[in-house]
Amino acid sequence: MAGVTFVHTLRRNWRQILYWGIGIGLLGMYVAIIVQDADILKQYAELAKNVPPALLQMFGMNDTAALATPEGFISFGFFGYTLLILAVYAVIAGMSVTANEEDDGILDVVLALPIPRWRVVVERFFAYALIATAIVAVAFGGLWLGILSSALDINVSRMVEGSINMMPSFLLMIAFTMFVGVVARRKAMALAAAAIFIVGSYFINFLGSAASGSLADTLQAVSFFSYYNSEDVLLHGLNAGNVGLLLTVTAALVVGTVWSFNRRDVGL
Amino acid sequence: MANHNTPVIQTESLSKVYKAGKRTIQALSNLTLSVHRGEIFGYLGPNGAGKTTTIRLMLDLIRPTNGSATLLGMDAQKDSVELHRRIGFLPAELSLWKNLTGRQVIDYVARLRGGVDWQYVNELTERLQFDPTLRVRSYSSGNRRKLGLLLALMNKPELLILDEPTNGLDPLMQQIFNDMMREVRAEGRTVFLSSHILSEVQSICDRVGILGSGKLQAVETVATLRHADFRWVTLRLHEVANTQLLAGVPGVADLTADSSTLKLRLRGDFNPLLHALKDQYVVDIKTEEASLEEIFLSYYGNGSNANKTAEPLKERV
Repeated sequence: MAGVTFVHTLRRNWRQILYWGIGIGLLGMYVAIIVQDADILKQYAELAKNVPPALLQMFGMNDTAALATPEGFISFGFFGYTLLILAVYAVIAGMSVTANEEDDGILDVVLALPIPRWRVVVERFFAYALIATAIVAVAFGGLWLGILSSALDINVSRMVEGSINMMPSFLLMIAFTMFVGVVARRKAMALAAAAIFIVGSYFINFLGSAASGSLADTLQAVSFFSYYNSEDVLLHGLNAGNVGLLLTVTAALVVGTVWSFNRRDVGL
Repeated sequence: MANHNTPVIQTESLSKVYKAGKRTIQALSNLTLSVHRGEIFGYLGPNGAGKTTTIRLMLDLIRPTNGSATLLGMDAQKDSVELHRRIGFLPAELSLWKNLTGRQVIDYVARLRGGVDWQYVNELTERLQFDPTLRVRSYSSGNRRKLGLLLALMNKPELLILDEPTNGLDPLMQQIFNDMMREVRAEGRTVFLSSHILSEVQSICDRVGILGSGKLQAVETVATLRHADFRWVTLRLHEVANTQLLAGVPGVADLTADSSTLKLRLRGDFNPLLHALKDQYVVDIKTEEASLEEIFLSYYGNGSNANKTAEPLKERV
C-alpha cells in the first residue's frame, strides 16, 4: 500500500525532530543572543585576523572582515558547525533506510510482504527527508528566537536562506549513506564509507581553501562542502547552481540505491 | 491464478551458489520439487542443509543462480509483490522493531497488506494467548514466535511458508500450532514447513522432503518415514546384562551389553521389549530419538530403495 512505509517511518522517528531540532536550535539561539553589540563584532573580527587563516577556514570562514557583520558571525558560529552536527544524523538516517534492518533481519519480514523493494527505499528516504527538513526548521526556530532577542539588525531572510542551503547537503549525506548501505552490504563497511565521504569531503574543502593552487584546490570541486559555502549564502544569498547540483547528485544516489537494491540478494 | 491441479509450489532445478571472497558455497543444488494444494509439506534437514536458502529463494529475498520457482502459478521473482499478498511467512529467526508494541507491528503489517479481518486477528491473538500491548523488546522468544505466527496467519494466506515454526514454543503452544495447521489444511490451504525435528514433521505433515548438503535426498509420505523410524534405548538393570535376554524380541536390533547396561535400537512399540524384561529389575530406561541421518540410512540402506540413496546427512536431529 502506497505511503504506509512512509507514515510508519515518520511515526517511528518523529521524536528525532525534537531531539535534534531543539538541540541545534539552542546552539543557534545562543550564537544569535551573544551578538548584541556591533563594536564587539568588530573587535572579534580584529582578533580573528591574528588567528591562522587555516583555522578559520576549517569552520567555513574565508573572509575575516565578514566576521564584523552579524550574518558573517552567525555563519561562522552556527551554520559552519551545524552541517557537521547534521552529518551525524544523516548517517543514522541513511543507515536506517535498509542497512540496519538488513543487519537485524527485519528486512526479511518487510520484503516478504506485498511491497516492492523500490518503494521501501523511496518511501523511507522521503520520510527521512521530511524529518531532516523538520529538524532544520526547528533549528531555525531556535536561531530566530535568538535573533528576536538580539539588539542588532540581522537579515532574517538571509538566515532563512542559510537554513534552506543546509538541506541539499543534508539530503546528499542521507542519500550517500543509504546508497553505500545497499552497495556495501556490511553495516560496518557502509558506516566507514559514509564517514570517509563526509570527513574526506570536509577536509578536501578545507585544504583546498587553505592552499589555493594546490592539488587540494583542484580536488575541492569533488567536495560537497565547497557547494555548501554557508558564508557566501549568508552574505550574498542562495546559489541556485550549487543547490541544483547537490539535489541532482542526491536524486542520482536515490536512483542508484533503488537500482542496486532491486538487483541484489537481501540479508546475506 | 493457479488452477486446482497446478502445484502450489513448483521448483525446477533451483540452485543457489553463495560467493564468499574467492570461495563459492553450493547452498542448494538442482532442487526440483512439487507441493500440492491442501497439503502440509515438511521440509526436513539438518542445520545448513539449504532449507532456509530454499525458502528465501521462494520469497525472492535472494535470487537463484540457476533454475526457477513458481508459487501459486506465478513466478517467484517477477510476480513477487502479488505473490506476497497471498503468502504468509515466518522466518526461522524473527526480528522485529524492538521499540514497537505487538499491536503496532500487527497494525503496520496489516496496513501493508491492504487491510485484514480484525476479528480474525483478535481470534488468533486469543488462541495464541498473545498479549499485543507489550513492546517487542520485552517479549520472550516464545511470545515473539507467537507474534510471528500471528503475522503469518493474519491474512488467511493460500500458502504458508514457515521456517522452523515451533522454535521456542512450549509443548502446549506446539499443540495449538499443530491444530491450527490442520485447520489450514482442512480449508484447502497449503503449508510448507521447514524443520530439523523429525517428530515435529511427523505429527502434522502429509509428505516430507528430506534435504541434505543442499540436495533433495527424497520425498516421502510421513507414513513411509514412520515405518523407518526407530529410537535408541538404554536399559540399566540391577543384574549383569546379557544380550541373550532380548534376542528375538520384535523390533529390537543392534543389541550391545556392557556390565548392567543394555543398548539397543527399537522400532515399533515398547510392549514386546517390556514383556521380555518382566523377570528383570529395571533400574532405568533412557530413550533417544534417532538422528535424521540414521533414519535416512535405515530406510535407504536396504536394497529396494538403494537407487535413491544420496549423500548421508551430517548432523543429528
